[in-house]
Amino acid sequence: MAHVTPVQRQHLANGLALLIPALLFGFLVSAQWQTQLERSSLAVRYNAPLTEAAQSLQNEQNALKAQLAELRKQLDSIQANASTQTDASRSLQARIDDLKARAGLTAVAGDGVIISLDDAKQTAVNAKDVDKSICHATDLTDIVNTAWRGGAQAVAINDERIVGTSSVYCVGSTIMVNGTLMSPPFQIVVIGRQDQLLGAFEDPAQLRDIKQRSEVHGLGFRVSRASQLRAPEYNGALNVRAAQPK
Amino acid sequence: MRTSGGSIAVAAVALFLGVLAVSQFRSQDVYSRSLQLETPASLTTLIASLADKNSALRDEIFDLRVRVTAASGSVSTGQFSLTEGERQLGQLRVFAAQDAITGQGISVSIDGAFDEKAMSDLVNELRNAGAEGIAINDRRVGPRSWFAPGTQGALALDGTRLAGPWTVRAIGPADVIFVAVTRTGGIVGQFELIYRSTRFRVTKESALELPPLR
Repeated sequence: MAHVTPVQRQHLANGLALLIPALLFGFLVSAQWQTQLERSSLAVRYNAPLTEAAQSLQNEQNALKAQLAELRKQLDSIQANASTQTDASRSLQARIDDLKARAGLTAVAGDGVIISLDDAKQTAVNAKDVDKSICHATDLTDIVNTAWRGGAQAVAINDERIVGTSSVYCVGSTIMVNGTLMSPPFQIVVIGRQDQLLGAFEDPAQLRDIKQRSEVHGLGFRVSRASQLRAPEYNGALNVRAAQPK
Repeated sequence: MRTSGGSIAVAAVALFLGVLAVSQFRSQDVYSRSLQLETPASLTTLIASLADKNSALRDEIFDLRVRVTAASGSVSTGQFSLTEGERQLGQLRVFAAQDAITGQGISVSIDGAFDEKAMSDLVNELRNAGAEGIAINDRRVGPRSWFAPGTQGALALDGTRLAGPWTVRAIGPADVIFVAVTRTGGIVGQFELIYRSTRFRVTKESALELPPLR
């Protein structure tokens, strides 16, 4: 075993004494440099009030959707009572109920599959690959397309039911589904015949890009069989204004 | 001299490690998405979109309140008519694409190479801009519609082959949808860069007619 002389011990102590301040300095220099790169003076000045405004509008939207759901419930209840009055009203109510189910305005429960989609977490990536490691709005639309192709009866993304007027929209790195702000992880509930749905999602020709990015860049993507799923009813506006039945 | 040289080397390595550690931490932090990380321009767009959606919700709440009040009154007096139910049925038939519909909107002509993913993106963009009903050539796009590649440059909508040239018609607020798809950096501009030999033409239409879902 090598003998450590007092002089060598002193050298070691000097080195260690420099180690901690140097590490701290490295942290500070790097953090400061990167922060300056990312945040422009405009961002510093306006981000806080703009973020607050966006969050406030999202909270307002949640409250409006709750009010809308309550009013729809009240109208349903009135109609259900009235539908006992005549055969014509009973028949009308049955047609309304059928259309509501087809349009995604009633909650659906049943077996199906759950798709988890998330930004890569563990993989160290180069800046040029970041894009391939995160979820995009088009990933969600591709998954929804595959679900319908596989015979899905109902689809919901993070509890937002997908209907005929639904859109998945991306601004910056924030995704909106039915106008609701969302960020990863995403859980897509797909209700339908499990074998048929799994067949569609496992088909190598489907979702090629997502599967490849999952393997190479660590994008989180998983399809699993699930029982007793629930897709809530659509709670947004029907927004039928310009269109008139012919 | 050896002492100070060794110390400087240790300090340089430590400095380098510090920089690496922060870089790694920051590269993982890229994934933690939050509104605080958005640019002011993105936040402004998000706010405009949220405000539009909230406005549509408020309009519908106002409309529903009137209908609930009217329906409650008519039931309590025993005079409940089928009018409210028929109105709701009509609205649902449009929403579920069960009826042929008419109204203002836009028309997008696509002549040349195009694919099913781009068509799906266009439909998504039109819906986001407020389209209430969409048809491609003579086929209506429904709530559960899906796209797939077709043979010989065609695409398939709900399993039906649709060959180009394609005409995508969307009923909804014509001015809003037109601006949304034709704005600088918008979806049509992106298509023009990607499908360079394909011709895209967007027009506002005062009266469109779409078939029901088949």
